[in-house]
Amino acid sequence: MRSRSRLFSLFAVLGLVVAACGGGTTAEPEAPAEAEAPAGTAAGDGDVTTIGFWVAFSDEARLGFTKEKAAEFNAKYPEYNIEVTSFASYNDVFDAAVLAVDSGEPPGIIHFFEAATRQALDAVGADGQPIFKSVTEAIGGRDKILDEPVVLDSVVDAARNYYTVDGSFYSMPWNTSSAIMFSNTDMLEAAGVMEVPSTWAEVEAACEKVMAMPNAPAGCITWPNHSWFVEQSLGQQGELLANNDNGRSGRATEVYLTSDGMLDYVSWWKGLADKGYYTYTGVQRDWDGTANAFLAQEVAMLIYSSSDTTFLTNSGKEAGFDVQASFMPYNGEKEYVGNLIGGATLWLLNGMDKKAEDGALAFMNFFSNPENAAEWHRITGYIPITKDAEALLQSEGWYDESPNSKVASDQLAAAQNTPASLGALLGNFVAIRDIITIAIEDILVNDLDVAERMAQANVEANKSLAEYEALFGG
Amino acid sequence: MLISALVAAAAFGAAFFAKTPRHRKPRRVAVGAAVGLAAAAVVPGVMGPCGFAAEASQVDHVLFFGLMLTASWLALIVVRMIYDRADGAAPETASMTGEIRSGGFRTKPWVPWLLLSPTLLILVVFLYTPAVQTFTLATKLARLGAPNSIDVCLGNFSELLVADPVRVVAYPLVAVAAVYATSWWRRATSRETVSHRLAEVASTFAVLGIFVALYAVFSPGGDGQVAYRPVYVTTLIITVGTVATGMVGGLAIAYLAFRNIRGGGVYRTLLIWPYAISPTVAGILFFMIFDPTAGIFQYLAEAWFGIDVPNYRENAVLAQAAIILASGWKILGYNILFYLAGLQNVPTSQVEAAVIDGASVWQRFTKIVLPALSPITFFLLVTNLTYAFFEIYATIDFMTKGAPAGKTSVAIYEIIRVGVNNGDLGRGAAQSVLLFIAVIGVTLWQFRTSGERVTYGGAG
Amino acid sequence: MAGLQVGVQKKGFVRGRQWPFHLALITSVLVIAFPLLYAALIATQTNAEIFSFRFTPGSALASNFDDVWVKREFSRAMWNSLQQSFWVTVGKTVLSLLAGLAFVYFRFRAKWFVFFFVLVTLMMPTEVMILAMFRLVSGFGWQDTMASITVPFIASATGAFLFRQHFANMPVELLEASQIDGATPFTFLTRILIPLSWNIIGALFVIQFVYTWNMFLWPSLIIRDDSAQVVQVAMQTLLNFGGALTFGPLMLAAIIASIPPALVFVVMQKPFMSGFVTAQDK
Repeated sequence: MRSRSRLFSLFAVLGLVVAACGGGTTAEPEAPAEAEAPAGTAAGDGDVTTIGFWVAFSDEARLGFTKEKAAEFNAKYPEYNIEVTSFASYNDVFDAAVLAVDSGEPPGIIHFFEAATRQALDAVGADGQPIFKSVTEAIGGRDKILDEPVVLDSVVDAARNYYTVDGSFYSMPWNTSSAIMFSNTDMLEAAGVMEVPSTWAEVEAACEKVMAMPNAPAGCITWPNHSWFVEQSLGQQGELLANNDNGRSGRATEVYLTSDGMLDYVSWWKGLADKGYYTYTGVQRDWDGTANAFLAQEVAMLIYSSSDTTFLTNSGKEAGFDVQASFMPYNGEKEYVGNLIGGATLWLLNGMDKKAEDGALAFMNFFSNPENAAEWHRITGYIPITKDAEALLQSEGWYDESPNSKVASDQLAAAQNTPASLGALLGNFVAIRDIITIAIEDILVNDLDVAERMAQANVEANKSLAEYEALFGG
Repeated sequence: MLISALVAAAAFGAAFFAKTPRHRKPRRVAVGAAVGLAAAAVVPGVMGPCGFAAEASQVDHVLFFGLMLTASWLALIVVRMIYDRADGAAPETASMTGEIRSGGFRTKPWVPWLLLSPTLLILVVFLYTPAVQTFTLATKLARLGAPNSIDVCLGNFSELLVADPVRVVAYPLVAVAAVYATSWWRRATSRETVSHRLAEVASTFAVLGIFVALYAVFSPGGDGQVAYRPVYVTTLIITVGTVATGMVGGLAIAYLAFRNIRGGGVYRTLLIWPYAISPTVAGILFFMIFDPTAGIFQYLAEAWFGIDVPNYRENAVLAQAAIILASGWKILGYNILFYLAGLQNVPTSQVEAAVIDGASVWQRFTKIVLPALSPITFFLLVTNLTYAFFEIYATIDFMTKGAPAGKTSVAIYEIIRVGVNNGDLGRGAAQSVLLFIAVIGVTLWQFRTSGERVTYGGAG
Repeated sequence: MAGLQVGVQKKGFVRGRQWPFHLALITSVLVIAFPLLYAALIATQTNAEIFSFRFTPGSALASNFDDVWVKREFSRAMWNSLQQSFWVTVGKTVLSLLAGLAFVYFRFRAKWFVFFFVLVTLMMPTEVMILAMFRLVSGFGWQDTMASITVPFIASATGAFLFRQHFANMPVELLEASQIDGATPFTFLTRILIPLSWNIIGALFVIQFVYTWNMFLWPSLIIRDDSAQVVQVAMQTLLNFGGALTFGPLMLAAIIASIPPALVFVVMQKPFMSGFVTAQDK
């Protein structure tokens, strides 16, 4: 008997160890995992409703701003607790959200990028219900939620048009940018280029001068090898990326990677690279590397997201050169149609109770009220998302003080409202972007024929889209 | 097609037992045929005969047939193990498991099960279950968050191969036949003859032939196939490069440091510390060194030698060299550590005898030290291979992210790119299965060569 | 630091002049140490200082540290990693001890099968089944929990076989003597086996601690929430401080992240060495 009880005690100890390992973080109060994953659907302790807000930013400026605004909202409405959790990338948030819905502990508000719009619309939980709910529908025509005026109607046209699907705003626009060019005007002027180039031909001409300087930099221009810039160029040239009006009049079922606009753009790009004008950092989607090359004055021009306008302008100043922002260079031989937006929106989780849902909606509108939207713009360079915020910035004189900050908004305002310049809504968009990026890298690095390689990419992309439609199209 | 495959499996089962004299009994041959047939039938039983369906490609037919035979083969191995135990030809359970002679404690029969249960539970839930799921996932078109998945049979595999069924069958068969033939030749000739030497050289080439055959079987892309050949080549280059750099460097430095020299202990400690460094940190450190804008490497190459080194991420050779250097550096400490331990077992008497005989330093090293180190070399080879297969992921993720144009995207990196970043779970799982087969190959080779040896360290 | 036992031998192969060896060894030490020394230099500099290639300590060590430790809350990632390494190390040691005990000191039915069952897992590294594992563990609702990065790793064939081998080499009389004293399996384990296994336990501790601490791929998949992230993955967020690559904080983080495993390695060097020499002797 004695021996048996000893044995049991051994297993009691073992059981404790296993339990401690297994259940550890869900039980221990100090464990970090405990802090997150609040149920958006369930009311918290007492009267405080906790709403999880998952953000794909982890840098100090953006995440800091988000946390600060959440704290302000929580102070204003003590019955709510917006809890910000940060993730390293948009994909991370998306995957985590799908899993969280399946396991029953989803947040209330989730931050997704534009390319995932189709996927977010199609996403269903394990129970077959859509994961997200249309923001327009949830607001239901109210012009005020709690004490927060609804700002949805004031959203600038470019974002409104992009995110309106089937006549309804599914998600609340937040960080929105466009692709613009940053020039080291000191370097351009030294090379005798007095006007910042605006067309492809002008860029080439400017580069010829820059590279002819005795102390020429390593390259003349760079931008990340990111499919977003390709999409921007298609928009400029009025070319569709996908059928059914870029997936806006019906589900997109075909992608066009061999259109004239596509081939012209990639050929121009390759031509710049062949002449040594374009510097490829060697890494796909290399935001850091390209910005560094520009700031280290290894190139004269950088095509980049307007989201970092403030940073690039100030960093250039610190490094001792003037940075001028301008529209993204376009194909001068074609009519300019329009650049598109990029960025991300806030998605409202489906199936929350009324109080939690109103809290989430109120926060979204508070988050982008004119003061906050203007502040967000000043910190980063994302466009002011509402017309009211634009007007506020105008009246404060911000644009006179910081003309670079207005370029992205102006560029978007100059765009025609056509399906091409709105950009595509596409399933498997992330994978298709990857296919485009890889093809271009292949062309740049391995010196392949543009038409042939893009035709191959076209086959791959259409296969990927067909598979997506088979899984989600229903 | 299905019928002929089943007949082939039954014949294979019969032959499996008929080939060894001890098992060549009518009853066992019959059981072999039955088991071979039954196991092969399990494959279409579970998946449906989809590989032989009308819309399947010819490569699908070949793969499905191969899968059925593999199932037979595995089942037959198990049956043979049971027979071996019945014949008393298998190693004793006691000596195999290290059981002590007395048999140990006489307790209730469930006590050892209780002791083993946590281990077994974890192994079942977190190793066996996902292993099985990897195989099922590999036959599907599936995405995270997708409401449904679609069965694609072996399509995820056949699209990685060349579309020609003859080549898919012929190249590996020829390569394996060459390995068997040369090893037979080696055994048939007596040592120290010219023929034997030739056979040894030929068998080395035959083994290399397997790698060449695989190269020929993986698709270079196009025609709707996935370009897996570049991934294979990249994996081969980076794996071989890393293992060679790490092991040759490790041995050289260990041989240097293994001396009764003043301050030897301090030197040794200062040489092995990279063992504790993570592959991530190795990636970060070399990311800094080679950075085209801010790194010291380019700066010094320019300042001292006037060489304008191109950005390593844009150049396949440089990118691969940088990854090899970083990961070779990281495992150096590990290899030095084990070689230092191994060098202790080198018989000094032999070395001293060789010194008296007037052998040169190099002769002493190759004739005495290297052979004495071969067990540890072998052990390190396996752990280094594991490292180069998997741990290298973090280093690549920080340094090149697979650039340029996938030239540093090794198998594990590709699996994550396809399966996680693109969310294509089925294709990622299919590529995982390939890597799985490679690991099984390395492990079986290890078991064969060294008997049963405990792998120690590495991916514990 | 001087505790390294391995390779200290009385009879070197080569006699004669020593300085070439010193020279070669010092060169090796410097070559091996170079990446870390260089990182230490960069860790003190601002980007501007780095771009100008100054080889003297820079001005930014304090602000870099503040960026890493305070602003990016690297301390929290360190704490997460420490917890993870602790649980995996302890869990694996306990489970492996029990499995070794069962294999060596018990006779039971189907033992050979169980043995093979465990043995086969030697060729099943987590990495080749990582996608299925990701689905499985997320299906438990374990994403972003400590359980997801500990429990799957607390049992392994290597650990079990390590103790099996060690126990099998112990004198049989140990068990007989303790059985006469009426020892139960539990008292035998705690009073006899464990005290005789400290070297192996120490070796396993070092290996497991370093292995767990350095884990990257799995946490990068299953842990998405930054506040639950482990050190190796958290370094990724340090690549960028508001805009462009910042090298100083990244290098500093790399150095900080290497301190715990290095410390464990140095402190535990003695048992580690003798432990793995025992294991090698078989």
